[in-house]
Amino acid sequence: MIWILICQIVLCIALACVFLIYPSVTTGTAWKILAFIGLCALPALCIVGGMNIHMQRSEQRQFCISCHAMAPYGQSLYVDDPTHIPAQHFQNHRVPPDTACYACHADYTIYGPLNDKIRGLTRIYMQYVSTPPNPIVIPGGYKNDQCLHCHLGARDFEENPVHSAMMDALTTNRMSCLTSGCHDTAHNVANLSHEKFWSPTSEAQ
Amino acid sequence: MKLSEIGIHRLLQVSSALVIVGLLLEIVSLLWFHPLSFVLFAFVAASLIGLGVLVYLASLVFVATPPDATPRRK
Repeated sequence: MIWILICQIVLCIALACVFLIYPSVTTGTAWKILAFIGLCALPALCIVGGMNIHMQRSEQRQFCISCHAMAPYGQSLYVDDPTHIPAQHFQNHRVPPDTACYACHADYTIYGPLNDKIRGLTRIYMQYVSTPPNPIVIPGGYKNDQCLHCHLGARDFEENPVHSAMMDALTTNRMSCLTSGCHDTAHNVANLSHEKFWSPTSEAQ
Repeated sequence: MKLSEIGIHRLLQVSSALVIVGLLLEIVSLLWFHPLSFVLFAFVAASLIGLGVLVYLASLVFVATPPDATPRRK
């Protein structure tokens, strides 16, 4: 996909070079059409294709943890303790391992609405210009929708008497899945130095 | 060569240069796996390409002949 886009970009550059060196060729009708393709239609497609690839890339776990502040959160996915919710989901492939961050934070920063996108840019600013907050806190707290978009409708979730007794409170976000005392161990990066870690035998993990 | 044609050609050259620089930066951003590559793409490369397209579209306005300039037929 990326190489197809790069070929398209190279083609577009070649066309643009013609009009940079010989702008007078555009007097002919065929060249006018070619100029429209090379200087308007193809560049616009290149922007759309580039944005698409960058959005897909930003869903990758490696992309998220390439920020220094996010590295401990990536490390927390390997904690050898089933009570750690993100680690349990990641290690048992309950979420796709390559896009593990995005699977549970689909409303976060660049993936969310405009306000979240702006907030995502302030995170980049904090990473490279000022100092990132420690610990990193999700504004408004972690929303249950991120859990329920997979678990809601799942048999073992809905047949669990604890879940069914508080289903309304969970679906309306009045009670948090994480902070209500039920699944309260998330990344817990402050205590990573005391944890044991799981080493996957396959690099594909 | 008319003066307006020189202007059109200059605009086409500026447009081409902006598009080429923007596209080269887009290639760099695509081959660089880093959070800043998105910033490079969205704020520099896409802006330059967009500006190049706008300059090209502006050059089309120069191409259009004003209605007063065309001789009337009787």
